[in-house]
Amino acid sequence: MGLLEPLLKISPLTLAAVLVFSPALFGVVVFAVRTKWSRKGVVTVAGWVLTLAAITVFAIAFVSRTALSATLPAQAAPWSMIVAGGDLALLAAILVIAVRFRSAMVLVVALVQLAVVLYAELTGGHAADAAPAVFIDWLSVVMVMIVSVIGSIIVVYGLPYMKEHERHLGIDEAGSHRPGFFLTMLVFLGAMNGLVIFDDLRFVFFFWEVTTLCSFLLIRHDATELANTNALRALWMNTLGGVGFAAAIALFGAHAHTYSVQALLHSPMGAAASLPILAALACLMFAAFTKSAQMPFHSWLLGAMVAPTPVSALLHSSTMVKAGVYLLMRFAPAFHGTQLSNVLAIAGGFTFVATAFLAIGQTNAKKILAYSTISNLGLIIACTGLNRPLALAAAVMLLIFHAISKGLLFMACGVVEHGIHSRDIEDMQGLVNRMPLTTLIMVIGILSMLLPPFGVLIAKLAAIEASVHLPLAMGMLVIGSTLTVAFWTKWTGRLLTSEPGAVHPKIEHLHVMYFVPLVLLTVGAVAFSLAVFPLLTELVEPAVTQYYALVPGAAGGVDLSSDVLAVPWMLVFGFMATAVVVPVLVARTRPDEEVGAYMCGEQIETPNGSGFITAAEQSCALSIRGHYFERYVGEETHGLWMTVVAALLMAAMLGAVALR
Amino acid sequence: MMAEYLAALAAVLVAPFIGGVLMGIDRIVSARLQSRQGPPLFQPFYDILKLFAKRRMAANTFQMISVSVYLASMVLSLALLFMGQDLLVLLFILALGNIMLILGGFSVKSPYSQLGSQREVIVLLAYEPLLVCMVVGTYIMTGSFSAASIFGLERPLALSMPAFVITQALVMAMKLHKSPFDVSASHHAHQELVRGIYTEFSGPQMAVIELAHLYELVLLLGFIALFWHTNLGIGIALALACYGAVIVLDNISARMTTRWMFGFTWSFGLALAAANLAALYATGPLPR
Repeated sequence: MGLLEPLLKISPLTLAAVLVFSPALFGVVVFAVRTKWSRKGVVTVAGWVLTLAAITVFAIAFVSRTALSATLPAQAAPWSMIVAGGDLALLAAILVIAVRFRSAMVLVVALVQLAVVLYAELTGGHAADAAPAVFIDWLSVVMVMIVSVIGSIIVVYGLPYMKEHERHLGIDEAGSHRPGFFLTMLVFLGAMNGLVIFDDLRFVFFFWEVTTLCSFLLIRHDATELANTNALRALWMNTLGGVGFAAAIALFGAHAHTYSVQALLHSPMGAAASLPILAALACLMFAAFTKSAQMPFHSWLLGAMVAPTPVSALLHSSTMVKAGVYLLMRFAPAFHGTQLSNVLAIAGGFTFVATAFLAIGQTNAKKILAYSTISNLGLIIACTGLNRPLALAAAVMLLIFHAISKGLLFMACGVVEHGIHSRDIEDMQGLVNRMPLTTLIMVIGILSMLLPPFGVLIAKLAAIEASVHLPLAMGMLVIGSTLTVAFWTKWTGRLLTSEPGAVHPKIEHLHVMYFVPLVLLTVGAVAFSLAVFPLLTELVEPAVTQYYALVPGAAGGVDLSSDVLAVPWMLVFGFMATAVVVPVLVARTRPDEEVGAYMCGEQIETPNGSGFITAAEQSCALSIRGHYFERYVGEETHGLWMTVVAALLMAAMLGAVALR
Repeated sequence: MMAEYLAALAAVLVAPFIGGVLMGIDRIVSARLQSRQGPPLFQPFYDILKLFAKRRMAANTFQMISVSVYLASMVLSLALLFMGQDLLVLLFILALGNIMLILGGFSVKSPYSQLGSQREVIVLLAYEPLLVCMVVGTYIMTGSFSAASIFGLERPLALSMPAFVITQALVMAMKLHKSPFDVSASHHAHQELVRGIYTEFSGPQMAVIELAHLYELVLLLGFIALFWHTNLGIGIALALACYGAVIVLDNISARMTTRWMFGFTWSFGLALAAANLAALYATGPLPR
């Protein structure tokens, strides 16, 4: 404790500056100094600086046990002008993109946003002149850790990946797009940090829009026709979300006379809130749904998979989509106890079920991961809508565990893609023999998403327990959890399918900058699951307690006791670990014990591995494929009605505003 | 706390013997229904001992891990039940075992075990919501997911959750691979699926699987016995009656398709569950 005392003297403003602006500065250096070694060095250093800053923030919060807050000196700068200027500059950039790529959709949406932003500036500008503040509570700490640590790991992984990527595309060092790529990635991380540590909604909105622009640039990185189309779709959808955000700012400014999130949360909220305030909250929900790629806006995240894998890993695990759910979790006390909250839970639950269902029919690994991300974010949103301490605790745990596991899975997928030149899970059949190490990592990643005693499942069970009071949401969580099992199990099955008697697997060589990030996150997935209880008491409970302190009548601490969490999880862990380790140690098969598959006495050896003799007395090589039930779970069959239902649920949110 | 662990230990030690005898009865009854003499009562034990003595052959080491985790999950589930632990967690630990077995089936490039595993995924999808709904029903009644809390109720669950006795019997038929739900693995190898998901397990591995099945049977019967906790004699009789019904169903019906099974459980089964849950929400003592 004493060792950590000096930390308390570090100003939150200094930390905020490091977390938000240092990545951008490092990015500029990477962009300006174009040599291979400077890029490697600077990106790695940027990762370390971010990680250390995040750990410092965590340590300070841990020692001081209160939220860190500080206000920027009011006279130092015309803050309102700066942030307004920033917003307009971003909109100008989006308009330029709209014209440059001849996208009417982007143009229209950006103009609408411009109108709303100008309206907000003109009507609400006088609402609050107080200087914007930095406010870092436990929720922000969790987000900063996710963004800075996992984000840095992904950016470092991007170094060898992008090199290989450009070699495939035949781009030499001189024409390399990597300087711009890493600049955008780093700015993205800084913007995410800004989004979670600034208290002023106008600042949050500015960083929100920076992530929109960065994601556009990253998705269209390869500049193919498909990349352009998908990037433009992501841009107009997220800009549309920005319209909702700007409308919320206008409403808050006009009716609550403040832009401070904390001030808003401390004013009469929930059932006591006025109609315009509830409408503002519904607008924020709309914005969060676009950013977190919830149905009906899920298509932008599916399209984003055209981007290089580090981009996907970043968008899916630690940044972008997490911004949406963060915003909802941040504002959860404000809609506590309203019908709006219930509709939110149902809408999130619907996305959870629908996308888990659609994932069953997919063979593209990145698409399965994308659907799974959307699904899990739906679950987090459903938890936020359930708006009970246990549900919020589940949401925070999902936020953490999903970020680790999904980052890991995308990175492993990228390694596999470079290894076998395919992202189709059918082509990954028997990968355990070809890339045993990566397969092991991938399987741990997958199992950490769905099996006990890993954290995602514990959080999911807590979510189900918290949902019992809203039967419709509960039904969705139950069915969604079941469907989730199907696509992960089938994928793992493909990976592990091995040809008996095949050459014995040789452990593949992985680039050190692949190996270290993958191992870090694998260890993280297992260690965090093992440490689920310290995590809960030290990180999640304080976060939820701070949140619940804002809800009237619940100020006296929160009760997270739940049957799910009362299970002797360490016993479960120990038992299962023994069950895995014992056969490996004592019952490993010797080569002379390994036998081929049973084929009704008709098996033969063919040049392509084992085969069999057909009814027509011809030899035939054996080929195995998975079932994907495309006829029953296909996107073509169900995509449309699901989107319509999701759109209706969005409309229901507006209706719920009127109902309180 | 100590008493709970001792109860769990006792259950883990005794369960295989009860399960084995019940399976022996199943085999004799089924044989008599088919005008056969049938094996001795203790045949399931002889089978397991014989399998353990066989030479070890496997397609890969992962098969060993998969059967080991399968057995561990069954044992642990039974222990958690007797410790009065969280039923929801128990269900997912049970699912863990099934998923590992499915992965074991997938791990061999054999058409039979692959097809069996593919179908077992659907079987899992078919019964899992029924199980979770049952547990949610108990939550509405007791305000807790723990099995122990059921013993605080005054009235047996069977009276407030009658539909779930039926769904539990269906789940038992599906989990034991009884007709008409024996789509992923049949008890007899004389059809196109051979032994389905089990095709590629042999010798000691198969013995472990059979042992796990004994635990699974006791666990499934234990679930049903909980429905009459006020008098466990009646509860056990209810469980055995369900088991008898499943045996009869097995002998009078033919194997149906996976699609039919999925459609049947998600329409008929889930409708039953939803109706009962709706009634519970309307009348049950859900704590606010």
